[in-house]
Amino acid sequence: MKYVIVVKPKKTILDPQGKAIKRVAERYLQKGIKDIRVGKYFEVELEHEDDELINRLAKNVLSNDVVEDFEVLKR
Amino acid sequence: MKVGIVQFLGTNCDYDCKYACDVLGIKSEFLWYERTDINGFDAIILPGGFSYGDYLRAGALAKFSPIMEAVRDFAKKGGRIIGICNGFQILIESGLLKGALLKNKNLRFVHKEVYLRVEKSRCLFTKGLGNRVLKLPIAHADGNYFCDDDYLKYLLDKEMVVLRYSDSNGNIDDKCNPNGSVYNIAGICNENGNVFGLMPHPERSVGDLGKDGELIFSNLIGG
Repeated sequence: MKYVIVVKPKKTILDPQGKAIKRVAERYLQKGIKDIRVGKYFEVELEHEDDELINRLAKNVLSNDVVEDFEVLKR
Repeated sequence: MKVGIVQFLGTNCDYDCKYACDVLGIKSEFLWYERTDINGFDAIILPGGFSYGDYLRAGALAKFSPIMEAVRDFAKKGGRIIGICNGFQILIESGLLKGALLKNKNLRFVHKEVYLRVEKSRCLFTKGLGNRVLKLPIAHADGNYFCDDDYLKYLLDKEMVVLRYSDSNGNIDDKCNPNGSVYNIAGICNENGNVFGLMPHPERSVGDLGKDGELIFSNLIGG
């Protein structure tokens, strides 16, 4: 079973990396970009489906719930 | 009296901390991260560095080290723990202190000496230092302390804000904030004052290098 976990900064958190990328990208593209935010992407493979375990992994290891949200996708 | 200095994979301020203890005549020993008991130690230092290469998030992987279970118990029993720089990040990730340490606002690794105002707090490591201004070095990329407004209010109500970035006279404004930290916070402690996390490096300000770090380190062993 393959899962994808996406971790991203909460909406209320400033994302200086995203801002820096946005600035450079706008200069390169010569076009305005509304916003860029940087997150992390994890591919996790399990022998058997186990949503509870994946949620525990995402919540307690892969993300920090003070500043990040996560999303679990099945592939 | 004996202080334990924890060594994770990637810790690099361990010998500086030992040197600081030596200068002050405090007996210390290194503690490998795979140890599961820390009996017989009176205080614990989580030194700076880049545990696990800062992979995932600074401090996020070190919190799962075998020794951290013992460190958590030690904290619960009121033992003195100081987490410096990466050690602060590990304390935060472990939940022994609350909030988050984000990338510096300017995205740069900042390394310089800064002034810090010691706040009136319950922290055991700054006993008797209230309102003094200390000069200590900082060296970090992820020192931007973040918490929400409710938790900041809690920190202030409970007198858990210990150090704030200031100028040499103790005045606080945005100009002296090197990393974008909320409320210019450089260090906080827990409710009991026995767990202290800070981004500046007191161990680099002892002996010939300065005196201000000694003021903090001398409180490892307390009365």
